[in-house]
Amino acid sequence: MHGMGGLAHFLRSNRMASFGIVLLGLILIAVLVGPIFYEVSPTRLNILKRLAPPGPDFWLGTDSLGRDVLARLLHGGRVTLVVGCSVVALAFAVGVTIGMISGFAGGWLDWFIMRLADAMLSFPSLVLAIALAAAFGPSLENAMLAVAITLMPQFARVARGQAVSVSVKPYVEAAVTLGLPRGRILLRYVFANGVGPLLVQATLALGAAILQTASLGFLGLGAQPPAAEWGADVSINLDFVRSAPWVALAPGAGILLTVMAFNLIGDGLAEWMDPRRRAVI
Amino acid sequence: MVFVAGRIAAAIPVLALVLIIVFLLVRAIPGDPAVVLLGPGATREQIAALRDQLRLDLPAPQQFLEYVAALARGDFGLSLKNGEPVLREILLRLPATIELTLMAMFVAVLVGVPLGVICATRANGPLDHLLRLVSLVGVSIPAFLLALLLQLIFASYLGWLPVSGRTSALVTEAPITGFAVLDAMLRGDGAAARSALAHLVLPCAVLAAFLAATLGRYVRNSMLEILGEDFVRTARAKGMTRPRVIYVHALRNALLPAVTILGLKSAEMLGGAILTETIFAWPGIGRYMFEAIRNRDFPVIQGTTLVFALIYVMTSLAVDFIHGALDPRVRRKML
Amino acid sequence: MSITRRQLAPAVALPFIAAKAFAQGTNPARTLVVAVPSDAVGLEPGTNRAEPIGSEIILNVFDTLVAWTPPEFSALEGRLAKSWTISSDGRSFEFELRDGVMFHDGTALDAAAVKFSLERTRAMNPFAQASFNLINEIAVVSPRVVRIVLKEPYPAFMSILAQPQSAIVSPAAVARLGDQFAANPVGTGPFIFRSRQADTNIVLEANAQYFRGAPKLDRLVYRIIPNASTRRLELENGGVDIIQQAGQLAAIPAETIQALRNNRNISIIEVPSQIIRQLEFNNNKTTGPIADIRVRRAIMHAIDYDGLLQGVFGNTADRVYGPLTSNSWAFNPKIRDLAPKYDPALARRLLAEAGIRPGSLTLPLYTFQGALWGAVATFVQANLADVGINVTIQQTEFPALRALHTSGNFDVALDGRQPWYNDPDAHITIGYLSSLADTAMTFRFPKDDALDAQILKAQQTVSMEERKALYFKLQEDILARAPGAFLFSPKLIVFARANIRGLVINSAPPLNEYWGVSKQ
Repeated sequence: MHGMGGLAHFLRSNRMASFGIVLLGLILIAVLVGPIFYEVSPTRLNILKRLAPPGPDFWLGTDSLGRDVLARLLHGGRVTLVVGCSVVALAFAVGVTIGMISGFAGGWLDWFIMRLADAMLSFPSLVLAIALAAAFGPSLENAMLAVAITLMPQFARVARGQAVSVSVKPYVEAAVTLGLPRGRILLRYVFANGVGPLLVQATLALGAAILQTASLGFLGLGAQPPAAEWGADVSINLDFVRSAPWVALAPGAGILLTVMAFNLIGDGLAEWMDPRRRAVI
Repeated sequence: MVFVAGRIAAAIPVLALVLIIVFLLVRAIPGDPAVVLLGPGATREQIAALRDQLRLDLPAPQQFLEYVAALARGDFGLSLKNGEPVLREILLRLPATIELTLMAMFVAVLVGVPLGVICATRANGPLDHLLRLVSLVGVSIPAFLLALLLQLIFASYLGWLPVSGRTSALVTEAPITGFAVLDAMLRGDGAAARSALAHLVLPCAVLAAFLAATLGRYVRNSMLEILGEDFVRTARAKGMTRPRVIYVHALRNALLPAVTILGLKSAEMLGGAILTETIFAWPGIGRYMFEAIRNRDFPVIQGTTLVFALIYVMTSLAVDFIHGALDPRVRRKML
Repeated sequence: MSITRRQLAPAVALPFIAAKAFAQGTNPARTLVVAVPSDAVGLEPGTNRAEPIGSEIILNVFDTLVAWTPPEFSALEGRLAKSWTISSDGRSFEFELRDGVMFHDGTALDAAAVKFSLERTRAMNPFAQASFNLINEIAVVSPRVVRIVLKEPYPAFMSILAQPQSAIVSPAAVARLGDQFAANPVGTGPFIFRSRQADTNIVLEANAQYFRGAPKLDRLVYRIIPNASTRRLELENGGVDIIQQAGQLAAIPAETIQALRNNRNISIIEVPSQIIRQLEFNNNKTTGPIADIRVRRAIMHAIDYDGLLQGVFGNTADRVYGPLTSNSWAFNPKIRDLAPKYDPALARRLLAEAGIRPGSLTLPLYTFQGALWGAVATFVQANLADVGINVTIQQTEFPALRALHTSGNFDVALDGRQPWYNDPDAHITIGYLSSLADTAMTFRFPKDDALDAQILKAQQTVSMEERKALYFKLQEDILARAPGAFLFSPKLIVFARANIRGLVINSAPPLNEYWGVSKQ
C-alpha cells in the first residue's frame, strides 16, 4: 500500500486532484466557518426587501421572500455536504455488507442478490429515486434515503467482485481451512484488500448523490421550506431568474462546484490506484 | 447462439424482479386514485364503488397476477387521468424521447470521442487539463442548471434559438412518424425541418453534455491504458509511427469499452430526460412519467417506469451482443 | 399495437398530400397561440371535471344553453337558448332554442340534442353528479323547445347550465364516433376541433358558419408549456400570444408583472376572481389544540393579511374576509369588520387563555407543492412563530394532500377553493355542509343540524332577495365558528401580446372565449 509519502507524491503529481482538494477545502471552510462570521439567519423573512440586488446589506442579495442569499448559500452548503456524506455512508454500509455476503456466500443467495441489484440498476437512477421519494413522502430525509437506495446496488456489485476475487486467494482459503470464523475472514482480508476500488467508488458517488438529491429538491421532492437546500433554492427562484438571476444561479453554482470537487478527487484517486493511466508514449 | 440464449435467459429473472419492484413502488405511493378521479364532493360510497370498479381492494398478490396477465396481452391499463390506454399514450410520446436521446447520443459521440483522443495524446499537457476540466463541468453540472443557463443565454438574451417545444407553434400537422424533423422532411417542408432542428439544439445539448463528457473521460482513460501496454510499446519500438499506433491500435481498442459506456449511459440518460423534457416542454415519456407521479396516475407510473426499465435491459443486452461480436474473449468470459 | 400501425401506415403515402395542406391556413396574423401549463385532461363535456384547460377549450368548441354576459359576468344571456322561463316554484325551466344553429358535422341543433347532452353528462360524470342528479326529467316539448324539471328548487341550476359539463354535443357525432368522440369533439361553437398532439398542442380552427358570426381568427393553437419561466420567455420572444391564468398557478406573478409592465409589446389583464385560499382547520376534530376555538381564533389573529398580500403577492391577490369573496353578489359587507384583524398581542393572549405556553405547540402545516404555496407557508410559519406556535411545513403533492384531507389526519392545512360554477352555493354547500365533511375540499364541519338546514335553505330558495339574506346570515354564522384563516384571493392575470384585441376575462370560473378576439 501507499504510505504518507505516496500521498504527498500523489498530490504533487496529480494537479487535477490537488485542485479538487483545494476546492473542497475552500467550500468546507466557507460553509463551516462562514456562518460564524456572517451571522445572518437563512430563514428570516424581510418581505419589504425582496429580490434586493447584491450590495453592502446583503452581500449576494435577497430572494423572493427577502431572505439573505449568501446566508442561504452557506447553510445550504452544510445541508448539501451532510446529504452527500450520509447518503454515501448509508449506501456504502448497506451495499458493501450485502455485496460481501453475496460474494462470500455464493450459491442461490448470491444469484438472487445480484439479480435484485441488476433489476434495481435497470431503472435510470433518477426514475427510481423519484418513484421512491414519492412513495416515502416529500422530505429531505426521504429523498436522501431514496438516493441511497439507488446507489446501494453499485456498491454491492463492486464489493461482491472484490469478495469473489479475494476469497479464491490462497491465504483466504487457508484461513477457511484453519477454521477461522467467516465474519472475521470477510472483514480482515476481503475488506482490507478491496478497499481501494470501493473508496474510488465512494468518492465518485458523493458527487452523484449530491446531484440526485438536488434534482429531487428541484422537482419538489426534497427539503421542505423554509430549509435552505441548494436544489430546492434553484427551483423556487426559477420564476425570478430574469429579474434577479443571482438568486437561482448562486445555489446552482454551489452544487456545480461541490460536485466538481468530489469528481476531481475521485478521478485522481482512480488514477493513483491504476498507474497505467499515467503513462504517456 | 449459446451466448445469445444465455444472455436472454439471464435477463428474464431480472425482468421479473423489475415487474415486482414497479408494482410494489406504485402501491407504496400515498394517495387514493379513486379520490383523485372523483374530485371534490365525492361521497364515501362513490369512492368505495370506484375503488371496487378499479379493483384496488383486491389482495396485492391477486392484483399483481392480474397486472402481469394484462401486460402479457399488451394491456398496460387505462390512464386514471383521461381514461386512455396507457400503452397508446406512451407510444404517442416515445418518438419525442427517442428523437431527443438519439440525437444527443450522436452529438455526444461526435464530441466525446475526439475529446478523449485529444486528451490522451496530450496527457497531462495544458490542453489535456483544460479539456478535462471542461468535461468535468459537463459531468458535474446539474441538468436543470445547464438547461436554465442555455435557455437564458441562447434563447432569451441572444434570441438565436427557440426557448422550448418541439416545433414552431405554426406547425400543427398531425405527426406521420412522430419524429418532428423526419416528418417535416417527409412533407417536403424545409422551413419546418429547420425549425424542428433548431428546437432540438438546446435540450439535446443539455442531454449530450453529460454523455459527451463521460465518454471523453472513458476514451481518454482506456486509450492511456492501452498506450501503456506492452504490445503498443513493442509496436512503437519496432518503428511504427505515433499516429498509426494511436489511431490503429489504441483508438480501436479504446472504443470497445466506450461502446459499453455509451449503451449504459444513454439508458441512464433517459432519467436526465425527465428534467430536460419538463424544462423544455418536450412532449416525451420522461415528462409524462413525472406528471403521472404528481397526479397519482398509477397505471401510467407503472407503464412508464416499466418502459424505462425495458429500454435499459434491452440496451445492455444489445451492448453485450455488440461486445461479444467485437471481442470473442468476452463471449467466453460472460458465460 | 394497432395504433402504431395506423400511425405508420400513412408515412409512405402522405408526404405529398400533406405538403399542400400545410401551405394554406398558417397565416400568423390570424393564428392565436395560447400557452397553457399542462395538457387538457379531456375535451369531452360529458366527463369534464372543471379542469381549467379542457373546460376552456370545450367552451370554445361547444355552446351552452346560457352563458355569462361579458364584461361583468354577473347576468346570464341566452346562447343556444333564445329565451327561457322559470316556473314560480323554481323547479321547471323551459328553453326556446335558436333557429338554424348547426353542429360542425352539419347536423342541426334541436331540443332532442339538448336532452341527449344533459342526460349523457348525468350518466357519465361523477364530478357533476350531485348537481345533475337534481334533474327529474328533461322533456322535448317541440323540436325548438326543451323543458327541464328538477326534483327540488335549485336556483344555481342556471349557472350549472353555463358550465362546460352542460355543453351541447352533436348526437349524430356521438353515435358515429362512439368512444372516439372525446378525441374528436363536435359542437356548435365558434371553433372547430382540428388536431391534438399529446403534451404538445391542441389546434382549433374558425367555424365560418358560427351562428353569432365567424370568429376573427383563423386558428387557435394551445401550446402546452409546463415551465413558468419558459412560458414567459416565449411570450417575450413572440412565440406565444397569450399566457393564461398566471395568477392561480403555482408561480407568484408579481415579479413577472413588474418586468413585463416595462415591455411595450405586452399587455397585462388583471381581474379579481372568486377563488379563495385559506389556512383551514380540521374542524371535525374533538381533541387536541385545534378543537379549542381560542387556539383557532389566536391563529386567525396571528396572520398579517396585508403583509402577505403586499409582501408575497405584490398586490396580485385580493383580501378575503370570510367564506365568500368580496366580488360575489351574496357577499355580506359586515364581514369586512367581523373578520379577524392582524393582532399578535391578542393572539398571544388567546393562547395563554387556552393554556398554551409559547413554544410548546408544534403543528405540521400541510400544503401543496410549488413556489407559491411554499412562500405562503413560509410567511404563515413566520407569523405563527411570532405568537409562539412552531410550524413545520409539509409540501405534499395534490393527491396525497387530498387523501390526508378525506382521512381527517391533520390539524391545519393550506388549501384553496375554486368555485366551479358562478354561484355562492359553490363555496358554501361544498365547503361547510356537515354531511359532506369527509369528502375532498371541505372545511370538515362537525354535525350541526341548524347550520345544515340554513345551508340547504339558502341553496333552494328561489327569491333572489331572500337568498341573499340567507347567505348574509350564513357568512356571519360560519365565521363565528372560526373555521380557518381566509388568506387571499388570487387575481386572474393574463399576459398578452399588445396586438391582441377583444380579450375579456371571466372571473368565475376563469374561462376565456376567443370568438371576439383578434390580432392586429
